[in-house]
Amino acid sequence: MRLEPRSGERIDRSKPVSFSFAGWKVAGFEGDTLGSAAFAAGKRVFSRSFKYHRPRGLLCCSGHCPNCLMTVDGVPNVRVCTEPIREGAVVEGQNVRWSLDFDFMSVTDKVGGPFTPVGFYYRTFIRPRRLWPFYEKFLRSAAGLGELDEHAGYSRRYDTEHRKARVLVVGGGPAGRAAALAAAASGDGVVLVDEDASLNGMQLDGVEVLAPARALGIWEGGLVPVDAGTVLYRFRAARIIVATGAIEQPLVFPGNDLIGVMLPGGVRRLVNDFSIKPGNRAIVVAADDEGFEVADDLSEAGVAVPRVIDLRETRPRELVAQGGKGRVRRLVVDGESFDCDLLVASGGRQPAYSLLAQAGARIEFDSELGVFVPTELPSGVEAVGSVTGDGLGKVDPEPAYGGKGKCFVCVCEDVTTKDMKRAIAEGFDSIELAKRYTTTTMGPCQGKLCHLPSIRLYSKETRVYEAAIGTTTARPPWAPVELGLLAGRELTPARRTSMHWSHAEAGATIQWAGPWKRPYAYGEKPEDEVRAVHESLGVIDVSTLGKLFVEGPEAVALLERLYPNRFGDMKSGRIRYGVLTSDAGRIMDDGTIARLADDLYYVTTTSTGADAVTAWFEWWNAVWGYEAEIVNVTGAIAAVNLAGPQSRDALQRLTEADVSAEAFKYLDAQEIDVAGVPTLALRIGFVGELGYELHFPSPAGEYLWGQLVAEGARPFGLEPQRILRLEKGHVIVGQDTDSESNLYSAGMSWLPKLDKDDFVGKYALEHFAEREEKERLVGFTMEEDVLPAEGAQIVVEGFPAGRVTSARRSEAVGSVIGLAWVPTDRAKNGTRVEIRVDRLLRGARVTHGAFFDSAGQRMRS
Amino acid sequence: MSRAFLSPSRCDAGTLTSPLRRALEGANSAAVRDLSLEGVVEIRGDSDLVEVAEGEDLVRLSPQRGYIFTDGDPADVAERLRAGGVLAYDATGALAGMAIESEQVVRRLTDLDLDELPTSGPFAHVTAIVRRADDGWVEVYVQQEYGHYVAEAVVDALTGLDTSRGLTRGQTPDVSDPDGSPA
Ligand code: FES
Repeated sequence: MRLEPRSGERIDRSKPVSFSFAGWKVAGFEGDTLGSAAFAAGKRVFSRSFKYHRPRGLLCCSGHCPNCLMTVDGVPNVRVCTEPIREGAVVEGQNVRWSLDFDFMSVTDKVGGPFTPVGFYYRTFIRPRRLWPFYEKFLRSAAGLGELDEHAGYSRRYDTEHRKARVLVVGGGPAGRAAALAAAASGDGVVLVDEDASLNGMQLDGVEVLAPARALGIWEGGLVPVDAGTVLYRFRAARIIVATGAIEQPLVFPGNDLIGVMLPGGVRRLVNDFSIKPGNRAIVVAADDEGFEVADDLSEAGVAVPRVIDLRETRPRELVAQGGKGRVRRLVVDGESFDCDLLVASGGRQPAYSLLAQAGARIEFDSELGVFVPTELPSGVEAVGSVTGDGLGKVDPEPAYGGKGKCFVCVCEDVTTKDMKRAIAEGFDSIELAKRYTTTTMGPCQGKLCHLPSIRLYSKETRVYEAAIGTTTARPPWAPVELGLLAGRELTPARRTSMHWSHAEAGATIQWAGPWKRPYAYGEKPEDEVRAVHESLGVIDVSTLGKLFVEGPEAVALLERLYPNRFGDMKSGRIRYGVLTSDAGRIMDDGTIARLADDLYYVTTTSTGADAVTAWFEWWNAVWGYEAEIVNVTGAIAAVNLAGPQSRDALQRLTEADVSAEAFKYLDAQEIDVAGVPTLALRIGFVGELGYELHFPSPAGEYLWGQLVAEGARPFGLEPQRILRLEKGHVIVGQDTDSESNLYSAGMSWLPKLDKDDFVGKYALEHFAEREEKERLVGFTMEEDVLPAEGAQIVVEGFPAGRVTSARRSEAVGSVIGLAWVPTDRAKNGTRVEIRVDRLLRGARVTHGAFFDSAGQRMRS
Repeated sequence: MSRAFLSPSRCDAGTLTSPLRRALEGANSAAVRDLSLEGVVEIRGDSDLVEVAEGEDLVRLSPQRGYIFTDGDPADVAERLRAGGVLAYDATGALAGMAIESEQVVRRLTDLDLDELPTSGPFAHVTAIVRRADDGWVEVYVQQEYGHYVAEAVVDALTGLDTSRGLTRGQTPDVSDPDGSPA
């Protein structure tokens, strides 16, 4: 029920807002929270408890407890007492079967208690082990919080923002505001964050106020992530001032979780901020002054307060809240009964030190105050206000009051005093172990409301002083945070060539190829693209190849030591194939090396190898100190492979340079102008046809691609390229080789020049040259028209003895062909091997050399 | 050997396309500008030997390595520097660049200290050179092959500023597809 308009209320009665609450239409006002509006509308059950499914109502109204966790617009575990009201919101109960008011699972409260003591899950559901998936499913559905939709996408947009602050103040109470203003007096860069929405828009001279926003933790280097709803601010602060205040602690007595049992701060918020009369007849039980101020507010709001119990003056042995249907009806104090529908109970206030503890502060029990306080702070972190214990009076309530009924130490996890005592009796006599066993402090309140009460109880039961027990570890996040906010915006770096959009617009199927996005093929049938290359003219974007300049007077010396083959005897304008080997002689990468001038080489690498090869070259050159620079120009230069019998004619139409067979020979490199674009043309043939790799400034990519297509070149993608290269038996490093492959086993024994003085991997290659390899990489031709999967087993005498690395159906060869690692004794040309295809063994013949145009006449023509 | 195949400025007029063209199509030019075709030269060697001319800005990445951003023809600048004893390469085609008006957008994509520019480090998860222009805008250069992706991220962050502006906890901005382009 709403009170008459009051000064200081936060609601704007001229702006009604309505939403649905557990299926009921509820009206409130702008300025309300979803929880306050629902409470004003008479709703009292906000949630069902974790284990016993007991009805729970508002307790703290400050976002600290688990009692108002609900699902809002599909987002689970939202605290509606702090969630601003919004038109049309759909608020639903969670962890309930049927409805909030009537939950079938509440039967566990009636019968389950004695049968479900602490540790019950651990002991009961361990055998038989194979039933665990079933148990887990059942337990998760019976106990828990809101449900996460495993298949949900982003329900809202989340951003991350990096900020710097000279001074970051966490907490906007009087002490925090004063500290912020003092800091602002000596310069700018002061930011204050507070979780209270009412501070939004507050003007503080020279201070940026972020509210509602929560600091989630304090990390090294002054890193403080702040949850501002849909933006996660990652602050780097030179100075952090923590002013998080103190948190009211519940009293531990039977019935302390009944609806209508509230903390004083929660009651005051309902009355003063939202002008709500929270009950008709209230009893106040408190252990400090703060707790009693609520009595005046209640009286002013027209609530009868027949009894106020000061626990510093009276020390009752028995304190029991009783009621019906989960709601408080009376308080029994040492046998004396007081009717009420609101019981305001407080066990004093505990400094909210968690952020300080995370930052490395020392936390100790202050026996004068009866609470834990920070004692030593790390540098750069300060504390002000009641988080330090300032202004708090001594509190010393009973750790647990006697009486009949469930008496909760931890409302999040439904842990009772009985559970705690049992854990201690079972030998969990350290607070950290007891925490894990009972799960006290591990629920949604993060220990805010149960840490101190559990230690008080622990101290009493074990007869160990609180100071000796100490605290459990405070871990971030200090407040619950949405996973989407932590994940932030999804950014997946993708490399695209400068011709990418020409491919996309031509209808290519784009796929990931390592870090690149590349065309798989341009139509349904990659074999059509293969045929075009064999019969007329094709063009493929090979800009992804790594490209390096190696330049300097000692460039050749560097390359001679990096590669197993020779480069010193190469003339300018010529190209040679090269394979890089590791120190252990294993194949690392391959590509071509063109000598452009005496002191300038142009090196290409595999598409994924550019960065690694650059680093490898630089690392070795740092060791050897040659006068040579290595410059990665992969992105600066676009490249295409123009291939097919018509490629020479097409190129000639676009250039004034003479590209005839005589003037531009196989393995020549020439700088020419192609359609107005300066181009380095390399006559090489990865796909086995007459062809030219054209390398040119990347911004001209789309233009030159268009020119080549206009000359009749049919675009072909990665898949046709794979078929074409396989027809030539060309190896793809990383696909047909692995980290164990060497030049001898991979069939490239012609490549290393062991008579060179030195090169990386020389010793290992000398060793490989002498020993008999166990397996060899060979080509194979299937006897039937079946296509083995890449990775299919080579089977010898019933046992796996090798594997297929590549296989494709080739129209030009007329068979299924591939590459495979086979035992050396099966590696001879024409040997029959068996390959497992769809569980059946199929025959194949080892085939040496290229499958197509084995003499290489086409590419040399 | 002319190395002209490295230089966009040596191409005929009308042959060049920025790697950011599609990503920035329709983007607010008062918020983000494409710098991709402006001249950049990579230098190797003793950068103390580099004489920076009018309209040029040298960003040193290490004593032996840096970039010159130039208003002039980068191929000519590279030749001039080579004559002065420094290895220089036209890097115009290597980098995609964009100038961003809003520091807030930049801060949503990098944790680099914007009070300490120029610098180099991660921007939208890829390595970038970040410097400040005379008009206060922040200039970000990445490998051109990442250009489209980074420009998409910038445009997305700009959109994010609009959708999250003035929102507080509990208010839901429009859902947008985080995957971006299928290509
Ligand atoms: S009542 Fe909402 S968190 Fe306690």
